[in-house]
Amino acid sequence: MGFLHNYAYYIGAFGLIFVGLYIILTKHNLIKAIIGLAILDTGVNLFLVSVGYITKGTAPIFSRPGIDAKRMVDPVPQALVLTAIVIGVAVLALALSLAIRLYQHYGTLNLRKIREQKW
Amino acid sequence: MVNPVLLIAVPLGLAFAVPLFALFCKAAVKYIPPAALGFNLVISLLLLPKALVNPVIVSIGGWQPPFCINLVAGPVGVLFSIVIALAGLLVSIYAMDYIKEQAAEKYHILYLLLLTGATGVVLTGDIFNLFVFFEILCISSYALVAYLREKSSIESAVKYLIQGSVGSSLLLIGIGLLYGLFGTLNMADIAQNIKSVSPASVFVPMLLIITGLGVEAAIFPLNAWLPDAHSSAPSSVSAVLSGIAIEVGLYAVVRVLFTIFGVSLNSTPEFLLFLAMLGILTLLIGEMCAFSQNNIKRMLAYSSIGQIGLILFALAIGTSYGVAGGLFQMISHTLAKALLFLAAGYMIYRAGSMEISALEGMGEKMPLTCLAFTIGAFSLVGLPPFIGFPGKFLIIRAALATKQTLFIVLIALALLGTVIEGAYFFRVVQVLYFKGPKSGPAGKDAPAVALVPMFILVVLIVAVGIYPKMVTGVLNSAAAELLNRLDYIRSVLG
Repeated sequence: MGFLHNYAYYIGAFGLIFVGLYIILTKHNLIKAIIGLAILDTGVNLFLVSVGYITKGTAPIFSRPGIDAKRMVDPVPQALVLTAIVIGVAVLALALSLAIRLYQHYGTLNLRKIREQKW
Repeated sequence: MVNPVLLIAVPLGLAFAVPLFALFCKAAVKYIPPAALGFNLVISLLLLPKALVNPVIVSIGGWQPPFCINLVAGPVGVLFSIVIALAGLLVSIYAMDYIKEQAAEKYHILYLLLLTGATGVVLTGDIFNLFVFFEILCISSYALVAYLREKSSIESAVKYLIQGSVGSSLLLIGIGLLYGLFGTLNMADIAQNIKSVSPASVFVPMLLIITGLGVEAAIFPLNAWLPDAHSSAPSSVSAVLSGIAIEVGLYAVVRVLFTIFGVSLNSTPEFLLFLAMLGILTLLIGEMCAFSQNNIKRMLAYSSIGQIGLILFALAIGTSYGVAGGLFQMISHTLAKALLFLAAGYMIYRAGSMEISALEGMGEKMPLTCLAFTIGAFSLVGLPPFIGFPGKFLIIRAALATKQTLFIVLIALALLGTVIEGAYFFRVVQVLYFKGPKSGPAGKDAPAVALVPMFILVVLIVAVGIYPKMVTGVLNSAAAELLNRLDYIRSVLG
């Protein structure tokens, strides 16, 4: 129980990452694959935040009195996650617009049926 | 003083200024990328003498490293930014006339963003910053692959996007693990502390980062996207993707391995051997697939995979000869492959088909373009007096200098790959000149604005091929920077 309690965020993060990877690898529908990509992104972001998180931590504001420096949450991973979220949004938007184009060309989103390019 | 920040800030700013220019004068837009990249070329050349003496370190925000994001313009960074600016400038001049379909200003924005990302990756000294620039590079290349909006280009872009973003996620997990271990993102700072934790706990982030970067670098099991993406993009984009994007990916792999993780011949030779074998495998698979293609752009794309394999092999030899040879081969591949794609672009445009058989008799219809293609092909195969010859020569010398039987066997396999390469390139040259009707109707050659960059590339290929000492001095100090991580750490952290 103690293990679960201590590592809950890491377990959740890697759970999401594996769920995302599983969806991308097994689903043939492009929209589902994109959803998998979004879940994968979320998992990575959660992982990054949990790297710097302290249980019952506070915001890292030095000017406010009564905040202990040992309890401050590391702000760097949060800044990283903000950047990563923006990048993720850009990739998802592009992926969805490509999905629309793909549907216009082929009339299907099933990646198994779209096989013009071969080795 | 010349500041390396300008190399990133100017193209980035101009990229977003493109739509503003387009509001007033649509015709002026196409001159912006050549202007930005010409500026970059001049600045990088001005930086070079200073960077060769001492790496130029720029701390952003006025903090001292490791607390800030820093740029490291050492010999490697400046060398790569010169190559990127040069190839980018020539391809953008070519694209002024070549890109006519769709909204041209979107092409120019994405093109500038792609090259900004590439320049950022080679100059940055912060691993998360490397990820961000890498994503700029990747996202703009996904969009550029889909630029023509045809069936095949959309499909390849989707494939490329999914594989690329899984790779980027793996890279980000690796970076997160490194931050958890060391509490810093500065590459020199991580490199300094890498010995303080057990090798086993560093191995997982290393594997994740190498796999993530390896997708963009097209190392063998991760390169399924490359032939589709490179063959269905517009030819000017293929030239940059083949000539710059995968080289930058490979640079990032090598920088992370050599500098951060301290992989070297003394500490972990077995990992380098693994990479060398992977390189040869990539080379053989790329060349064999290229041999069986009938589509000229797919053939060139597979040949890029082969060349990347050869470069990876050379870098993984791990001696200063090997790394210098690998860097030389990178330059040689950038120039030759850019030339091949640019020439093939107009040949396909005039022939109306990408099939090699459709190019019969082109040697008479488009003599200058075909001559450029032939020179690029001969250079890639490694015939003297072109730039490919000293590149391959340096790699063979480095492999023989290791005096290990295994490396000699591997370089023999690499030479076998070169023979296959020669076979399919000579086949195309034969189709161009010796097949088809002897006296067909006179055709039109490529326009002057496309011939000028091809001509400059030909001059560079021949000039460096005849006198390789022009670049080997810079390459040797670049190889020394990559292999000598202690100097890198000292120059950044002081």
